[in-house]
This record gives sequence, structure tokens and C-alpha cells, in this order.
Amino acid sequence: MKISNLIAVLMLAVLGSAPALAHHSAVQFDFQNTVLVEGKVIQVRFANPHMHLVLAVSDAKGAREITFEGHSRNNMSRQGLTPNLFKVGDTITIRIAPMRNGADGGYVTAVRGPDGTEVGRVTAAD
Amino acid sequence: MENMKKISATLVALAVLSACQPAAEAPATAADVPVAADTAALPDFSGAWTTYRNAAAAGAFTAPAGGPKLTAAAQAAVADYQSVTQGTDYSPGNACVGGGMPSSMLGSGGYPMEIIQRPEQLFVIYEAHSEMRRMFIDDEAQDPSQFFPERNGYSRAHWEGQRLIVETVNLKTQVDTRYPHSSQATIREEYYFDTPQADGTPVLAADLTLTDPLWLEEPFTITKRWQAMADYHVKSYECAEPKWLDELISLYEAKGLTMVQE
Repeated sequence: MKISNLIAVLMLAVLGSAPALAHHSAVQFDFQNTVLVEGKVIQVRFANPHMHLVLAVSDAKGAREITFEGHSRNNMSRQGLTPNLFKVGDTITIRIAPMRNGADGGYVTAVRGPDGTEVGRVTAAD
Repeated sequence: MENMKKISATLVALAVLSACQPAAEAPATAADVPVAADTAALPDFSGAWTTYRNAAAAGAFTAPAGGPKLTAAAQAAVADYQSVTQGTDYSPGNACVGGGMPSSMLGSGGYPMEIIQRPEQLFVIYEAHSEMRRMFIDDEAQDPSQFFPERNGYSRAHWEGQRLIVETVNLKTQVDTRYPHSSQATIREEYYFDTPQADGTPVLAADLTLTDPLWLEEPFTITKRWQAMADYHVKSYECAEPKWLDELISLYEAKGLTMVQE
């Protein structure tokens, strides 16, 4: 699926979705913007209420490890996540709602595995 | 898909049965399972249900504007709760605590719910926080006063025609909810099949009335709708494990050890 098509599908999902189940304040995340981040998986924990992901990232700011949180395992599973999408050591791309203050980190709304398969839903925190 | 077929078949069967009198006798059941109603003629709500979506009709909720009208006592309790939690990460969900009734029922959908229906009870699993409710039908229900109050209370049910009427008591006082209530609150739910989606997808509805002599100026009534999900069973929702693992890993690290996780 082309990324443009994927985004269209994801936006439709957003428009048709019910209010998210808020587990904590998500005001620090900018859900009006989506940023792509590529990195090597250092640590991942697909869990509820939120996933925990650490990527080794190298960009204009330099090489460093960045910690992200994101959608719950259950919601990601309904979007197609399987245990085999990626593993520690793989290089993956994630979509995040970036931090409003410009700091590293963000809220993971979608994950693209090494084979190009992308799962997730670009929407508010759940 | 199998659930969808079963539900659709049930709807068809109901339409036929409604035109036929008298209805068939109840099927044979185990001696220890009381069956007061003619179960063969009753709707079967079994299956997984998600948020109802239909732009051309009423949405998932039909409720009076403004929400529940809280008494002064309730407003004070809610204000105190908000004063200690606003701007923090403190919430039941973040603490891996279920919403409790009526939030567990009204909030279900985005995280689906699954109903397993038996003659003597409806077993409802709300995926979020793996909350579960048992709605004990007729003689299966016991005296609620012998049980401790819970966030989801104790639910007794009976059939009135094609509708399941559920009365919930034994609730705990809750300020940490979108629907604050005292321990004196009672909840009446009325479950029934609503008009299916245009493609035939079954729609389940429930009229809920929250009554509370201490915290509500008047009963609050809301209608909730779900639509059937094909080929789905709710997933477990283990929420406390990450915090436990973090604590455990810290204990290992304090001893200079590495915990085996793979």
C-alpha cells in the first residue's frame, strides 16, 4: 500500500473512531502532526495501556537512543500487529505524534516493519 | 463470521417465532441450571461488539445534553477529585483499574466487549482492563447483600419479551469516573436488538438509567449501541505487568544481576 493511500485509510479510521480511552494526559504530544522516525530497535514492549519502544536513532542532532510510548497492544493488534512484525535489532520506521516542546520522543501511532508492512492508526492517544 | 451468522440466524428465527403461537418448549438443560424462560425463543446476544457507526442514524449514544445533573454533595466530591488529579497522570486507567459501572458498559466499543449468553446468565467481558460482569438471570441471582460492593456492582436480570432487563446494585462510591455516583446508586439496563445496519450487521442497544438518591438530582438515561464484529474475540488486557516488570528489573539491577526475559 502506498503511504499516501495508507494515510487516507488511517484518517478515515480517525474520523470514524469512538472517543479514545484516556489513560493519562497526552497534551505533550502534537497529534496534529505526524513525523516519521527510523531507527534500530533497542527495546520494545507491546503492552497495555501503552507500548514502550526504544530506538537507536541517528539524525541531524546526532546518534542517540530515544524512548517512545504509543498505542496499546490491543489496539495495535486490531490494526494488524503480530508478534513477528519486527524484533530487537531490526531497523524500523515509526509514525509519531511528536513532542510539542520539540524534545526527543513522541507517541507512536503506527509501526512499519523491516518488510514494509505498516500497522497502526494515526489518532489520539488511547 | 460464525457469530454473525448465529446472530443473523437468531434474528430470522425470532421473526418467525413471533408469528407463531405458542412458542416451542425450552430445550432440555442440566438439572442444576434453572431455566425460567423459553430460551429457544429469546434473542442471543452472544458475540463480540464494537462501537456502532452509522452517519445516517443516531450514533453510539443517545443522551440528554449536559450529562447527569449532580447534587451539591456530588459536585463537591467531584471538585475535590479533580483538584487532586487535574494536570497529573493519575487516573483509574493509568493505574490499571477498570472503569466500573456504568463506565465499563458505556465506554465499551473502541475496546470491544464480548457477550457469552447462557440460559442462566450473560457473561460480559469488556476488553479494556479485562473487566467482566455477570448478569444473573432469574433464580441464578442471589441476595446481593451477602457480597461486598464492587465497581461493577452485582447484576440481576430477567427477560421481558425480547428484552433483557438488568438491575445493578452493590456499587461502590466513585468519583473517578465520567458518571460519578454514590454507593446508593442503582442502574437499570434494557438490552435489545435494534435495527440492523444496511448490510445486515446486527445492532445491539441498551437503554441505561442511573438513579442515585444522594448524587443525582434526577435519573440519568442514556442509550448505547454496538454493532456486531465478525470473527473476533476480545483479547486479554494485562495492564499491570509493565510496572511489575520495571520494579522487578530494578531489583535485579540492584543486585548486579540481569533478569532473563527471553
